[in-house]
Amino acid sequence: MIHLMIFLPLLGSLLLLATPKRWRDEVAGFVAALTLGLGLLIWRGGGAEVFRVDWIPALGVTYSVALDGVSLTLALVTAFMSFIAVLYAARRISNPGTMLSLVLAMETGLLGIFAARDLLLFYVFFETALLPALLMLAIYGKPNRMRALVKFAAYTLFGSLLMLLSIIGVKAYGGSPTFALADLIQNPVKGAAQTWLYLGFLAAMAVKLPLWPLHAWLPDFHEQNHDSGVPDVMGTLYKVGGYGLFQFGLPLFPDASEQLRPILMGLAAFTALYAAWIAFRQTDWKRLIAYAGLSHMGFVALGVFSLNETATIGAMYLLAFQNVYTGALFLAVGMLQERVGSVHTRVGGVMTQAGALGGMTLALWFASIAVPGLAGFVGEFSVLLGAYQVQPWLAFIAGLSTIAAAAYALTAFQTTFWQGRPLGAVRVADLRHTEWLVLGLPLAVAVFFGVYSAPALNLIQPAVRGVLAGLGGQ
Amino acid sequence: MLQVPDVHLAPMLPILIVLAGALASTVLGFHLPRRALTIINLVMLVLSGVSMAYLWNSGAAAFGGSLQADNAAILLGITILIGSAMTLLVSLDTAYRARVSFPEFDAMLMYAVTGTLLIAFSGDLITMLIGLEIMSLSGYVLATLQDSRPAEESGLKYFLLGAAGSAILIYGIAFVYGATGSLNYAGIAAKTAGLTPENVGILVGGALLLLAGFAFKVALVPFHQWTPDVYSGAPTSVSLFLSTVVKVAAFAGMLRVFGGALQNAPGWASVLQILIAATLIIGNAASLFQTNFKRMLAYSAVAHTGFLALTLLGTPALGGAAMTYYLLIYTLMTAASFAIVAALQRSEKGMEIGDLRGLYYRHPGYAVALAVCLASLAGLPPFAGFFGKYLAFQAAFQNGYVWLSVLAALASVAALVYYLRPAMLMFMPDRTPAREYQHGERPATTFTVALGVVGVTVLGILPNLWYGWVANPGIWGALAGR
Repeated sequence: MIHLMIFLPLLGSLLLLATPKRWRDEVAGFVAALTLGLGLLIWRGGGAEVFRVDWIPALGVTYSVALDGVSLTLALVTAFMSFIAVLYAARRISNPGTMLSLVLAMETGLLGIFAARDLLLFYVFFETALLPALLMLAIYGKPNRMRALVKFAAYTLFGSLLMLLSIIGVKAYGGSPTFALADLIQNPVKGAAQTWLYLGFLAAMAVKLPLWPLHAWLPDFHEQNHDSGVPDVMGTLYKVGGYGLFQFGLPLFPDASEQLRPILMGLAAFTALYAAWIAFRQTDWKRLIAYAGLSHMGFVALGVFSLNETATIGAMYLLAFQNVYTGALFLAVGMLQERVGSVHTRVGGVMTQAGALGGMTLALWFASIAVPGLAGFVGEFSVLLGAYQVQPWLAFIAGLSTIAAAAYALTAFQTTFWQGRPLGAVRVADLRHTEWLVLGLPLAVAVFFGVYSAPALNLIQPAVRGVLAGLGGQ
Repeated sequence: MLQVPDVHLAPMLPILIVLAGALASTVLGFHLPRRALTIINLVMLVLSGVSMAYLWNSGAAAFGGSLQADNAAILLGITILIGSAMTLLVSLDTAYRARVSFPEFDAMLMYAVTGTLLIAFSGDLITMLIGLEIMSLSGYVLATLQDSRPAEESGLKYFLLGAAGSAILIYGIAFVYGATGSLNYAGIAAKTAGLTPENVGILVGGALLLLAGFAFKVALVPFHQWTPDVYSGAPTSVSLFLSTVVKVAAFAGMLRVFGGALQNAPGWASVLQILIAATLIIGNAASLFQTNFKRMLAYSAVAHTGFLALTLLGTPALGGAAMTYYLLIYTLMTAASFAIVAALQRSEKGMEIGDLRGLYYRHPGYAVALAVCLASLAGLPPFAGFFGKYLAFQAAFQNGYVWLSVLAALASVAALVYYLRPAMLMFMPDRTPAREYQHGERPATTFTVALGVVGVTVLGILPNLWYGWVANPGIWGALAGR
């Protein structure tokens, strides 16, 4: 079932190419829903244990996959948000066949990233998800997309090629027979080599978190993507750095993570504050949300790097659910753009004519800036709580960004949705048909997991404990 | 008493069959149209492949070990045959447009293939040299066959620099013979251990001269200068041949000499790593600034030389397997890219990168195929180019060349940028008139392209289909006669 869940979207994506034009929306929606359903079935069944076969025996590469704990949570969120993205793409884009196909292909890459339990397989999925993201930007992007494309791809590959070397090194120096995670943990690398290899691995993850100073691709990527925000949803899901660090980084490089902890936590706290500060100055909604997302990623990184149980649980919780509300915000911006023809933050007065759109956006913004009762709060608060026990001052610096968050979020909201509608502006329509679902479902998820976090915590907590226990106690 | 030479027909069969094709093209050219000859030659290539399959695991040798039909030869030989067949298929569609559609084209091509196979099957330095000369001479003629200024320039440049390279190579052979008293690879390898200090000096000199000679042939910086001019000046189907088959053969020679005969000889590895570093930096940096797609592919061939040569630094078991895997993948993806250029170019100058804009909306099949090839050349999974690069990195890394593999990784980032730009331009909508040849999509080219694309995709998802054959360390240990 797990293999079906991983590869079903890819099959669907290929199937779309052969489907007549008018059925493509339905087929894509069906495939995405089916994938989500499979994910829920796996969840009901208590997760999928490690499945392992040899892929390239001569090189010790295995096809090992599993979905449990953190990876299952993230896979479910990915399937859910891909479904929402498909729903909105089908509605918003005329002749959306190519876009739907790319969304589904990317979903396979992302699910593969979360399911992989072999380091080289992880790398393969990690890079495979890059191609659809690039193609979406190339086909549907805005005029300056070539620059954004090259930046995005070069940053990603810069990190991941260094990671590839460190993958080779982990196996070579540790003497493990295969690249399977279980075998690599059995044969750890000792001493200074571990630190160097961790830095190589970190390069890829820092680009994909993203972490200052390797974040510069992110705002351009979002700004130049299609107005609808569908590629941005997938791009948000692709920020898997925090997960990679948690699943592979901590178990494989325990001493190095301990050793570099203060520096990395410092970088993370700085990222959170710096991004929130920059976000305040943005006048483009997409860049604004990109920086807001970057600020959240600073929190995720802070949690993971702190090696503290509470903080790591919070980081994973935040990583999972920021996908939901950040993604939905990108779609809300897409709807705004469809109505007023701009993603500028000084449109003014949209609320007077499109109350539901404004209300939904505000609620999602609240989730994003960690208002209690919404999913963002649980994650950010746990991160701060845990990080405080390790590095109080750094936690304080990161905590400052929650103030900045309120400032950038509410200012932008005010100048777009409140204030007066300019004279002679076109009438703005309110939410219609599936748009209610597209924003309503993620909001419902954000509210539900803000109030009742047990289902997700039951998945995340044991996994985090397992990983941190391997580090030799906390 | 007269000794009867040790002649066995079977190990020579793959080469003789190709030679028969070359002779047939020479003679029958007066009676048959060129297309018929090309089809005969394609059949010959297939027959040669069948005879190689028959020789698999036989370990047959002829002329007292001067000709080795061991598994390494067969694996490299199959790669050569695939590249040659792709060239012939592409030439079926494009040779008349390049004004090289006459029997001599086929004849020279098949002579060149004979030479390349001879290198792959060589058991001593003289056999290798003869193969190399046959290949190079035919290559000079092929490059200059078209009646045009660029082709003449290309051929002359290729000839002058190639001849200099050959001269250095021969000098190196003489040195190595002088130091070890043997021309046979296994013999040289056996004697490198117990040499007197004077002889070690001569051996190092010989090895470095050999390295310089080969560096000319495979285009390692600073011996690469002819490559971009030759590849971009020659007709595109010839560039395809030169950048795949000829390079594979030159690397086969390097593998035989440095991975086998001089495996334990001192000196050459430290020089080679400097050459590789220079190649990676200059090849990739120069590609970044190309505006012509065909010329960019030429520079990319130089850059790939750097990645391929990394495998020579690995241990023979890991490095030989990595190189053989990479060479096949490199042949498939490069040949398919050149095939598309040959089909869609308006003139033999190739296409400007800007002309590719919107290609997806005019020739969707070829555009997607070209994008796949470029992604594979850039080393992105799930395409096979990734495993090629991975194996090359691994070979160098595990043998202690960590800094070089880090450099190679950084160079790959530059590589991604120049492959990405044309690949992504093809998918960007375009409202200007098409700037490529409209009727380029023809069956034989399409078949070649499909072969390349399916090859890199399938071997990327299931690398074991090819790596399983080349991975056996015994094959590469045998290069040094063990």
